[in-house]
Amino acid sequence: MEAYIVKAFRSPVGKAKKGSFQHFRSDDLAAVVIRHIMANTPGLEPAHIDDVLVGCANPEGEQGLQIGRQIALLALNKDVPGMTINRYCASGLETISIAVAKIRAGLGSCYIAGGTESMSMIPMTGYKLAPNYQFASKTPDYLASMGMTAEAVAKKYEINREDCDAFALRSHTLAAAAQDNGWFDDEIVPIEVPQVWVENGKRKEQQITVTADEGVRRETTLEALAKLRPAFAQGGIATAGNSSQTSDGASFVLVMSEDLVKQLNLTPIARLAACAVAGVDPLYMGIGPCAAIPKALQQAGLTLQDIDLTELNEAFATQALAVIRQTGLDPDTVNVNGGAIALGHPLGCTGAKLSTQIFNELRRRGKKYGLVTACVGGGQGIAGIYERLS
Amino acid sequence: MRRIQHVAVLGAGVMGAGIACHLANAGFQVLLLDIVTPGLAEDKQSNPDARNQLVNRALAQSIKSKPAPLYQKEYANRIQTGNLTDDLHRVKDCDWIVEVVVERLDIKQQLFAQVEEHRRPGTLVTSNTSGIPIHLMTEGRSEDFKRHFCGTHFFNPPRYLRLLEIIPTPDTAPEVTQFFLDFGANYLGKKTVLAKDTPAFIANRIGVYAMARIYQLTEELGLPIDVVDKLTGPALGRPKTGTFRLGDLVGHDTAAHVIEGIRQNCPTDEQAATFQIPAYLKFLLDNKFLGNKTGQGFYKKVDEKDEKGRSVYHILNLKTLAYQLPEKVTFPSLEAGKQIDDLGRRVNMFFEHSDDGAKLIQKSLLGLFAYASNRIPEIADEPYRIDDALKAGFAWEAGPFELWDMIGLETGIKRAEAAGETIPAWVQDMVQKGHSTFYTIQNGRRYSYQPSSGTYIEIPGQSSTIQLDYLRHQAPVYQNDEVVLHDIGEGVLCLEFRSKMNAIGEGILRGLQESIQIAEEGEWKGLVIGNHAQNFTVGANLMMIAMMAYQQEWDELNMAINLFQQTTMRCRYSNIPVVAATQGYVFGGGCEAIMHCDGVVAAAESYIGLVEVGVGLIPGGGGTKEFAVRISDSFREGDVQVNTLIDHFKTIATAAVSTSAYEAYGLGYLQPEKDQVVLNLEQHIFEARARVLALAEHYVQPIQRDDVTVLGRGGLAALYAAANELKLGKWASEHDIKIARKVAWVLCGGDLTGSQNVSEQYLLDVEREAFMSLCGEQKTLERVQHMLQTGKPLRN
Repeated sequence: MEAYIVKAFRSPVGKAKKGSFQHFRSDDLAAVVIRHIMANTPGLEPAHIDDVLVGCANPEGEQGLQIGRQIALLALNKDVPGMTINRYCASGLETISIAVAKIRAGLGSCYIAGGTESMSMIPMTGYKLAPNYQFASKTPDYLASMGMTAEAVAKKYEINREDCDAFALRSHTLAAAAQDNGWFDDEIVPIEVPQVWVENGKRKEQQITVTADEGVRRETTLEALAKLRPAFAQGGIATAGNSSQTSDGASFVLVMSEDLVKQLNLTPIARLAACAVAGVDPLYMGIGPCAAIPKALQQAGLTLQDIDLTELNEAFATQALAVIRQTGLDPDTVNVNGGAIALGHPLGCTGAKLSTQIFNELRRRGKKYGLVTACVGGGQGIAGIYERLS
Repeated sequence: MRRIQHVAVLGAGVMGAGIACHLANAGFQVLLLDIVTPGLAEDKQSNPDARNQLVNRALAQSIKSKPAPLYQKEYANRIQTGNLTDDLHRVKDCDWIVEVVVERLDIKQQLFAQVEEHRRPGTLVTSNTSGIPIHLMTEGRSEDFKRHFCGTHFFNPPRYLRLLEIIPTPDTAPEVTQFFLDFGANYLGKKTVLAKDTPAFIANRIGVYAMARIYQLTEELGLPIDVVDKLTGPALGRPKTGTFRLGDLVGHDTAAHVIEGIRQNCPTDEQAATFQIPAYLKFLLDNKFLGNKTGQGFYKKVDEKDEKGRSVYHILNLKTLAYQLPEKVTFPSLEAGKQIDDLGRRVNMFFEHSDDGAKLIQKSLLGLFAYASNRIPEIADEPYRIDDALKAGFAWEAGPFELWDMIGLETGIKRAEAAGETIPAWVQDMVQKGHSTFYTIQNGRRYSYQPSSGTYIEIPGQSSTIQLDYLRHQAPVYQNDEVVLHDIGEGVLCLEFRSKMNAIGEGILRGLQESIQIAEEGEWKGLVIGNHAQNFTVGANLMMIAMMAYQQEWDELNMAINLFQQTTMRCRYSNIPVVAATQGYVFGGGCEAIMHCDGVVAAAESYIGLVEVGVGLIPGGGGTKEFAVRISDSFREGDVQVNTLIDHFKTIATAAVSTSAYEAYGLGYLQPEKDQVVLNLEQHIFEARARVLALAEHYVQPIQRDDVTVLGRGGLAALYAAANELKLGKWASEHDIKIARKVAWVLCGGDLTGSQNVSEQYLLDVEREAFMSLCGEQKTLERVQHMLQTGKPLRN
């Protein structure tokens, strides 16, 4: 039985450690988005939900205790189960693909799938770095940090600093324009954040409502970007300005069987035509989409020419440029509203967030096929192809 | 008793901000005020942040400057800022108010009038002026204000230059003057010198004379400036900058201002003619070639590198006023001086030569003797005050009267008079009275001649210091080529390193073992390890290691490393307390030794680090083992352990050196429960002795540890991954990674398949084996050789 995406929402994306969600937990954030889905889907009851699938890249600490189940309890009720899925930056797309696959296999009829991440609260490599000794002693490059992989890709694919900075500027410019045009307004769920703090020795309290992504730098220029020092490697080209921002965010979609869609009299917005993952050398992690995209195209029986729009996660400008050039993607159709360099990259949330964005942009443009793709830590790529239905 | 807690610093220029930072270093709550940001737009005029922008920027700039004005960046939290218009009332909460505003009497007087409106009676007020008579500043002020007012003259940069001149006015209460003399020494770590209210006070008056005289002699003798800098730098026991490069560093506008000030304000000075701006200096001033701050002065850096990759400098030819490449001029005396370590012998040697270099030194020193002695009692009552000021303010190894003592009082008089200098009656009178030196030493204390009484007086401040130099008349308890063991009183011994740069060789290791044994077997309460050299120690004697490694004498090398380990272990495992007193570099083997002591009393200016990685080795004298112990001791139930491990690993793997003693706590070299910091460099051995005495009351020899938790493979995996990051990021070479992996190996106890408790001796064995394996590496030997030849680390 076919599975459909019926709803898709996301939180605004906060700047990690200094933004509005620095003290707002990612399970709470997820719960708000999921309740928003429930409230906006007439006839949908918690009892319809077979499972809540939550992507999360560092499910420990505040994101521990099997955060999928915690979110189901927070957002819905004790009778709805929840599961945590981790494929690092692909997690949010992977959960959607699992939900679709389960429905097509007849294992269920209704799922909430997406992801959430607080990079404010959990360090990038988790609280304890404990790799395998064999690995660490024989092939330590397999454990390379993300910044080092960005440099490795730049070197191998001859990406230069100027192009990276120009790409970063484009990301901010397009994101600012999209914000000005209100193109994210429909998909963003406003988040009420309670704040209690001490100022001048006095307890203070307020509630703020966050409605917009916080990472966009409208005032940035090529000159300002060019001045930044390499963030990772001596003599490197990846900087804080041309790398994705660390962020906090949550995004979820409602995936439903054809039967249930009809029963509740809902309108599907898209279907997942294909979704594939692939492995690559971990040192060249950023090139992962190049291996995943052909697999997804083949699954869908499409060619690159059929793809109208692409959301390519901008982990780093180096890898985004390398992927665009290696795959032959049309740069003008990639990240038309900016990408993670401007809008942020809340790891486990990103796949769902990019999906949500592409549904709306396909609709706005009246286009059919959208590709969501990302490189994945540990040397992987993911590519999902959506067909817009309404 | 007067106590200081809150201090206001008025004026946030280079000096004001620097003073504020040093007061923060000393633990005071500082209020730094300057004028409201000028030229504010209408809408910003009531915005406090905008109004304080000037002071905030000035402070931020100071904090960023090098060398760092703060012991630790976090100490900036101790400084609050504000402006003189909105916040001056806050001085009512201050115990001391320091004025450091622009050098204009009317502005200062006006400010003091405003300060008086808010100041509490009894609050101390001082001015940091370097050129305005102190007594003029309090005109119109109340009696209470005048009684609590004096000059406190810091030197730039305030953290690093040790001199603090205290200048009372006739109205200053004697208790206030005495308070600052003690407070400056005990709380700010300064050498305080009582100065009179005379132009430029002591240090600048004499120091600038010395500079002006050398400027004059250089022209007379037609010498190139770079050669004069060599002659008047380390050869004369003065900083490497010598004379002309120091001028470039200070700035010629500033220097000229001081020279002019003295010339105008001291019309009766017999050397007034020396305080003239020479034509070549005028040339620099006219062209705004003011020194380092304008990119050129006497020296000009050109866009070239020499064959060794060093920047090339051109020098100003004083005759042609053109810049040119320095010619390789030298003199027999200058060459001979390089072979003589002792300053006294070197100075005497210069009087035995007759080349132009020697002549310059002779004439400048004899002029200095005459000038300094003629300033008593004009600027100071006793010679020691002048010597102290020059040593602490200009970083001279010896002041004029100490240099004179090295030559001999009578010889000095004769030579000076032969050179046309006039020596004052009080000096002639000393000879008549049968005295032969300005200083004498008795019972470990130093005495200075006092012209007014014709007797020797004990120099004040010695009740809280121990100077090993003043103990040299007593027979050492023990000595060898590299150490002297002193009896420093109250049953405590002090082991002084005496090797070249205090490098730790076999003599020091044996000396340490012997000293501990002597203390254990005799009636001694404990041992201090300390000295007064510029650097506590530069680390192990690399030459010794290199020789054995080159000749592949592995058994000997193994024994030598074992001796090193057993010696540092003895510092902890003996039945007497052992306390180290450090200053300057505390590198490598020195750091390993102090980490094993029962306590460390570190002068704030201690630069501590396990730097072995820089020469291709790992700490092999127990230092890596000790880090493993400290890592283990910091584990808490349930914590993830690996983060502590990575932090400590990085410290050794990057050869991190603390930029102050306080920073050494964060790096794990010092520990809060057993180690302490003193601001005053002269007090560290005294404080170390006090610590030994306190520990000796209840001292029990510690038991060797067999409960050191190491993480084995689990930890190694994390460290290997971390080390690989350094390589991928080009922060480290392949050989760096090889060394880093050895460090990891020791810290984790090797490739144990699980976390386990091990003994210190097991870790020492692992450490020694890792050290030895690196000694067999060609690239390590290249690093060692490079360090021995150039004094700089090689990255290969």
